[in-house]
Amino acid sequence: MIAARRLELPTSRPTEFVDITARLQDQVTAAGLREGRLHLQSLHTTLGLALNENEPLLLQDLEATLERLAPRDVSYGHDDLCRRADAGADEPLNGHAHSRALLLLPACTLLVEGGRLVLGRWQAVFAVELDGPRWRQLAMQLDGDFLPAAPGDSSDRDLVEMELARQLMVDPVPVREPMRRLVEAGGKRIRPLLAMLAARVGPSRDPARAAALAAAIELIHNATLVHDDYVDDSATRRGLPTVAAREGGSRAVAIGDYYFAKATRIIAELGVPDVTATIASAVEAICLSQMDDVRLRGSYPGDYAMYLRVVRGKTASLFAAACKAGAQLSAAPPSLVERLDRFGDLLGVAFQMSDDLLDYSATSGKPLGQDIRQRTLSLPLIYATEDRHRGGRVRELLAGPLEEDDVREVQTLVVASGALERVGKQARSVAAAAQRELQGVDRDGVRPALADLARSAVDRTR
Amino acid sequence: MTVAEGPEVAAHLGGLESIWDEGMRDAYAFYGVRAGQEVALAAAMVEAALDLQHLGATAPDPARLLLGDLCLARASRLLAATRDTHLQIGFARAVERVAAAAAGGPPARPLRELLTAAIGEAG
Repeated sequence: MIAARRLELPTSRPTEFVDITARLQDQVTAAGLREGRLHLQSLHTTLGLALNENEPLLLQDLEATLERLAPRDVSYGHDDLCRRADAGADEPLNGHAHSRALLLLPACTLLVEGGRLVLGRWQAVFAVELDGPRWRQLAMQLDGDFLPAAPGDSSDRDLVEMELARQLMVDPVPVREPMRRLVEAGGKRIRPLLAMLAARVGPSRDPARAAALAAAIELIHNATLVHDDYVDDSATRRGLPTVAAREGGSRAVAIGDYYFAKATRIIAELGVPDVTATIASAVEAICLSQMDDVRLRGSYPGDYAMYLRVVRGKTASLFAAACKAGAQLSAAPPSLVERLDRFGDLLGVAFQMSDDLLDYSATSGKPLGQDIRQRTLSLPLIYATEDRHRGGRVRELLAGPLEEDDVREVQTLVVASGALERVGKQARSVAAAAQRELQGVDRDGVRPALADLARSAVDRTR
Repeated sequence: MTVAEGPEVAAHLGGLESIWDEGMRDAYAFYGVRAGQEVALAAAMVEAALDLQHLGATAPDPARLLLGDLCLARASRLLAATRDTHLQIGFARAVERVAAAAAGGPPARPLRELLTAAIGEAG
């Protein structure tokens, strides 16, 4: 079997090494490729590929090497537009970029074993921009042995993607395009998949209505991200500029509001008042927790009770609502609805704990140390402050202005304190508790599929 | 908050008390003669939300944005409690139109006009 994909990425500088390793691994995971190959090909003459180490000084060296071998300020025939019959008015002067492309790979093949890219300890995969900034595209094919589609996996995922695309298609361009970029940039789609699976547990099963609910939940999630990124002044999300960074704060606010309202309407149009009430309560919980989170930054890094309160509202409430609303849509009995509600709540908590760990991973796609810089409540930090030897220094650093050196020192202290192992263990334990709630949810393979989602939520690299 | 608005209104204002006098009270009075208490309060909250967020104008202070989000969410919950699907859809469409216009999309009628129409059509 072969699966074809396209990877889109924006670049921000004339010459730039963009680490795409985590995004490629995501594609492998999402496709379910276990053993095989990932073929990657640049679709541009001034974008190359490279396998090398992601070390900032080395990347500067590589950039300097390209400049030495094909300098920008020497004469290239390609740039002599008077001699070229095909040159348009907007033809860039980029002879140097084409020449540099000769030094890089136009395509490469990466091996996949056990569902993971086979890379050496220091190897990272780069798309190398030579004439940026631009929007770029890479073609990708995955071939080999894929996991058999789990119940409710690929077909549900496809339905959700189709419904999202259908919903976005009819929106006015100024709101649609920024949201489309955000939605297509990735996202794990855990919330909509939970809704799709939960919508199978009752007697009233309609995949199209389930997909409408699932897509609406994903739009709510993305609308909250658009506003969160504005509040946190974040520059990037899923490897792309945030909506606020690209469109400006004022438009970002309007875009978030538009999709919050649209999602509310899609759900109302389902005509199931209990579903509407469930989602409305969850959205309110998210808003209250977001305010709580910002307020608690004054007593940063906080304690476990604070952390749990914020996480339950900010993250777990929509996980729980996706499960509960899906079950309500299918007219499941109240006992099952409650069980799935509890499952979603626990899964959301485990997911967030696991997400906190990604702040310490160089390959997660999330900027290293972002939670520390933004003073976001984070369990590894809370546990590191409890460490007898290092806790005092962590607290002292967090109380200060946090320069980049301080962020790095906090990271080192957190790692040395063993907090990451403690959080990882706790996330797995909460995910296991979530799975225990699935007793009695055994209709048509829904239970193993939900259990798989729970496992993948805590065992992820991104 | 005055006694005249009653404890029923106060019960729904948790976290939003600080903005009651910033126009929400007047909006509530306006919608109160056109709809029941909870729908009027929901409409007033939607108006307050978009005011707090300076929709279509300068970017708001983050704290005001969050307060606006809470207003929208609370309004949504109040409308959900009515179990009136037409009303929920009408309110959502009103926000969609105004937000799309603020983002550079097609122009929209004023929010109050749209919400009043939604109340009228649902009623």
